[in-house]
Amino acid sequence: MKLTSEQIERLYQFTRQHYVEYYDLQTELTDHLANGIEAQWEQNPNLSFEEALQFEFKKFGIFGFMNVVEQRQAALTKKYHDLVWQHFKDFYKLPKIIGSLVAIVLLKLFLETISFSEELIITSFVAILLTFFGGMVYMKYKNRRKTRVSGKKWLFEEIVFGKGSFVGYIYVAICVFNKIPRHFENDYTIWIFSIMIVLMVLLEYIMLVKIPKKSEEYLITTYPEYKLT
Amino acid sequence: MKNSQLYKGSLNTIIMKLLEEKGRMYGYEITQKVKEITKGELKITEGALYPALHKLEAEGFLEVEVEKVDNRLRKYYKLTESGEKETVNRLSELEEFIRNMQVLVNPKLSY
Repeated sequence: MKLTSEQIERLYQFTRQHYVEYYDLQTELTDHLANGIEAQWEQNPNLSFEEALQFEFKKFGIFGFMNVVEQRQAALTKKYHDLVWQHFKDFYKLPKIIGSLVAIVLLKLFLETISFSEELIITSFVAILLTFFGGMVYMKYKNRRKTRVSGKKWLFEEIVFGKGSFVGYIYVAICVFNKIPRHFENDYTIWIFSIMIVLMVLLEYIMLVKIPKKSEEYLITTYPEYKLT
Repeated sequence: MKNSQLYKGSLNTIIMKLLEEKGRMYGYEITQKVKEITKGELKITEGALYPALHKLEAEGFLEVEVEKVDNRLRKYYKLTESGEKETVNRLSELEEFIRNMQVLVNPKLSY
């Protein structure tokens, strides 16, 4: 005996009721539960759908789907970080590395020549952080609207559009910010800040522009079902 | 899973070995296959299987395919090229572990 479309819909609903927000996980768990229920029906055709479902769900243990959801989140966040890192490394290979290095040197020379370099560095840090934060909020908002239209949430999409660990990014930036000396004693400090600013701008560009631009492509490789639905 | 502490560390290797043999499999199929091979002695719990699959996928050892089966979508896992290499490594590691354990648990066998 096979499950009907209504029963499949009920399984999707069941996963949602048990805090599985994301469509990709809902789909996988629905298929799993459906297989389990069908196998039970082979042994005992008189079993009701709901009874069989409860029995199958119990196999996930007392925490239900929670562990599966949490680990999936951890796995995809790691995937996202790897993706950011890959893009980042690209800027340190030929030919892009030339641009990165030139940017650092130019910034250093510029900071040396002006009299208000400390103020400028502090302003740039704040500006970079604000743009980053603003960009993330904007992307999140845009993605939420898209989700509302389609009715489906994809975990990796949420991570790409603002759920990635930008908290960590801000933390690092604030730490550095606190360490900015009021007066630069030597050349060395200016070098460090030039490098830092260029790196932060690059990271921001990757996370706010590069990856979101190619998001469709990444989503299709992560979720073959993205196209099917 | 029976005596889960002992088997826990080998779950990924078990999954990879099965995928190496079968080509591609879906989650439920893996739990049933393990049960069948071990005659019900070893049961992979659902709560452990999917996290393991998702982790291997994020590490690039597995890739996924989705197909419509009956009236629902089914997600299949299969080994990537690096997954195949990793399977060989992990299997030889596991075999070495088993050998060492045998020597430790039953020293007479080593003579």
